[in-house]
Amino acid sequence: MLSIEPSRRELNGAGDVSDIALEQQASQSVIVERTRVLARIALIDRVFYQVTRAAAVVVLIILGGVIVSLVHGSWPAMQAFGFGFLTSQAWNPVTENFGAAAAIYGTLVTSIIAMVIAVPVGLGVATFLTELCPHALRRPIGVAIELLAGIPSIIYGIWGLFVLAPFLQSHVQPALISAFGDIPFFSTLFAGPPYGIGMLTAGFILAIMVLPFIASISRDVFETVPPVLKEAAWGIGATTWEVMRYVVVPYTRVGVIGGMMLGLGRALGETMAVTFVIGNAHKISGSLLAPGTTISATIANEFTEAVGDLYTSALIELGLILFVITFFVLALARYMLMRIEQKSA
Amino acid sequence: MNAAAQIAQVKAPLTKVSMRNLDFFYGESRSLKDVTMPLYANKVTSFIGPSGCGKSTLLRVLNRMYDLYPGQRAEGEVLLDGENILDPAVDINALRSRIGMVFQKPTPFPMSIYENIAFGIRLYEKLPRADMDARVEGALRGAALWDEVKDKLQTSGLGLSGGQQQRLCIARSVAVQPEIILFDEPCSALDPISTAKVEELIDELASRYTIAIVTHNMQQAVRVSDYTAFMYLGELVEFGETDDVFNKPQAKRTLDYITGRFG
Amino acid sequence: MSLYASRRGANSAATTLCWVAAVFGLSWLALILGSLVYEGVRGLSPAVFTEMTPPPGSKGGLLNAIAGSLVMTIIGVAIGTPLGMLAGTYMAEYGRYSKLTMIVRFINDILLSAPSIVIGLFVYTVLVHPMGHFSGISGAVALALLVVPVVVRTTEDMLLLVPGSMREAASALGAPRAHVVAKVAYRAAKAGLITGVLLAVARVSGETAPLLFTALNNQFWSSDLTAPMASLPVVIFQFALSPYKDWQQLAWTGALLITVAVLALSIAARALSAGRRNSK
Repeated sequence: MLSIEPSRRELNGAGDVSDIALEQQASQSVIVERTRVLARIALIDRVFYQVTRAAAVVVLIILGGVIVSLVHGSWPAMQAFGFGFLTSQAWNPVTENFGAAAAIYGTLVTSIIAMVIAVPVGLGVATFLTELCPHALRRPIGVAIELLAGIPSIIYGIWGLFVLAPFLQSHVQPALISAFGDIPFFSTLFAGPPYGIGMLTAGFILAIMVLPFIASISRDVFETVPPVLKEAAWGIGATTWEVMRYVVVPYTRVGVIGGMMLGLGRALGETMAVTFVIGNAHKISGSLLAPGTTISATIANEFTEAVGDLYTSALIELGLILFVITFFVLALARYMLMRIEQKSA
Repeated sequence: MNAAAQIAQVKAPLTKVSMRNLDFFYGESRSLKDVTMPLYANKVTSFIGPSGCGKSTLLRVLNRMYDLYPGQRAEGEVLLDGENILDPAVDINALRSRIGMVFQKPTPFPMSIYENIAFGIRLYEKLPRADMDARVEGALRGAALWDEVKDKLQTSGLGLSGGQQQRLCIARSVAVQPEIILFDEPCSALDPISTAKVEELIDELASRYTIAIVTHNMQQAVRVSDYTAFMYLGELVEFGETDDVFNKPQAKRTLDYITGRFG
Repeated sequence: MSLYASRRGANSAATTLCWVAAVFGLSWLALILGSLVYEGVRGLSPAVFTEMTPPPGSKGGLLNAIAGSLVMTIIGVAIGTPLGMLAGTYMAEYGRYSKLTMIVRFINDILLSAPSIVIGLFVYTVLVHPMGHFSGISGAVALALLVVPVVVRTTEDMLLLVPGSMREAASALGAPRAHVVAKVAYRAAKAGLITGVLLAVARVSGETAPLLFTALNNQFWSSDLTAPMASLPVVIFQFALSPYKDWQQLAWTGALLITVAVLALSIAARALSAGRRNSK
């Protein structure tokens, strides 16, 4: 079956040695041919390398460009308002007096509301999917959640405006107001008329939006736990809850925190889901039911209508502040992940 | 010079590769220590030794595969037909086209069987379709695979069995017409029948190529190789004709290893 | 035994809470999709695909918005994909251990989750402002900037999944690096790379914020890339917040169309990567 003559190896005589010499000569000429081809290929190789490297550098330039252009664009506002921009609640296009405090406050409060709701529920859903859900349903539900994580935020926004806000206005908010009306602290938190739209509604929409995101990341992370670890815990009689609490969660803490931070980054920068239902009011109100605004909602609502360089510049500075906040949240997430990865490695 | 000496001289094999004071470093750690040995032309040389002894590393120096990774470097000399291949000026693509390599796990490319073979040929030669067909057939015949795949050349190479995939990889190396073929534990992922076929193939290939094979299977070393190198902790402990190394080892560590006292 | 009882109690409490969380979370999501379909289907008619966006108080369709979205998405993906793939290729193939790769990976992860409205501001200051007016092309560029990080990430991830032995085997035949990448690594990662592009398309096709002040909007048909251009998300935004019932209905229908498109793309991407896994 083999095409090579089998006897040649044993011969190994003088004739064979010259055979080898001949073969080597032949291979020398092959090498010359190949070297010529290689010179041509080497050029392509270098060009390809340089092109890919340039593309990688362009990614850096994009980020650099974003920062530089935002700083440049917000320069007039920075000069006009200085650091007071961060603490001033003013937002008056007529007198051209602007401050970011209300927008920053709204951004933080809506994101906190979102995380307070979405993190426990998301972890619950992830636990449900990895431990409790009947096997036949795990994949379909898991896939459904992943698909929902990809739905554009404007969908959540329009639903919030037309369905959730009226529902909260007529059913939930009156109940909250009457339930907490007499309790100190909570009475301020839930004061005022039920507008429907406002910080609480925006936070709730954000929660629904980041929920699939947090749930599917946590599920992925939970599934990285080696089955033997869990089996070992079950083997000594641990309950499902104890397996989660003492095996799965400690093992996956890093990934879960990373997922939450990413969810937070999303909530902070989200525009469309919030813009519909926030109410666009530039004031800090103690009540969660009151209309407010967020950085992104302010920009989305007002940018195209902004007249005057200072107004535009103030909006761009808002964008810069948002970018800086999310940059640090995301960078912190990455840094924590890196540090804990190094520790475990 | 008497007749016996003359015969001995004729029988003395040509040196294809000569390693001299070869050291290898993964970053700070030194994994080859002052290795000096030849690879004889048209002979099979096997490398044995416990895991981590540097046998695979040595193979990867011979075609400078380590160049793909930063922080790895070789020092000393490796002369291929008298030319030091560790010289930075050496074109490693040209070098690798002269030195084929077959890996532990079969590595068929995600393309058809035909394309798997043609891939290497196309790198350096522009052949008319008919010539290419002939080369592919020749390579597959050379790897004793032709009869099994001739009717499905256009199907994916990933669809073959493990043993067939490994012979496809051998055919792919052969198709480039190298001078040396390096085998890095080529049978460790294969069943006994496939292993036998690959070993038979190595035996056949030895008439045309210089072969180096890393194996952790000592019976395999005995079966396929003319020369054996025993390595331990990065050092070359013993090198000689396979019969000698296994029947009358010079070093105690060799004896311990081949008799199963450690490893 | 009381310890055991309390452990069991804790367990049932915790698992019950997980059930509640799952039902709670999933029912909101079901509710959203339900009302989207309910409200959206009501407005579905051939006119949606054949007529332009109407002036307030009259009937019309979404043709110019759909076309604008398609045009800007296609251009955005056409710009962003090659750039992202090349950068991802550098990171996975050439500079796997280099400092540049570490920095780019970090920056790219931040761009990936950066607020898209900020990208809109960026494009406004570098394109719209110098040009003096809003334009379809600046909308496309804004989308391209959102495509890049998605494609960079998936390209790098997918190429890293290609076993090193495959690259070594190709290198061992004397193949130059560019060849190893283009002929072997890309091929091995093909399904994953396409998945990445599909996900990027899905991501940008619903993006609203970066288009608000780049492409703006246009009530009429426009094939001029230097003029303002309508897009589905921006039209939805504008129409939903309007007081006109006809516009609100079109907003719902547009939202349904986007959702269906995004879901179809994501499902296609999933099917593709699942097929890849099975063939291995």
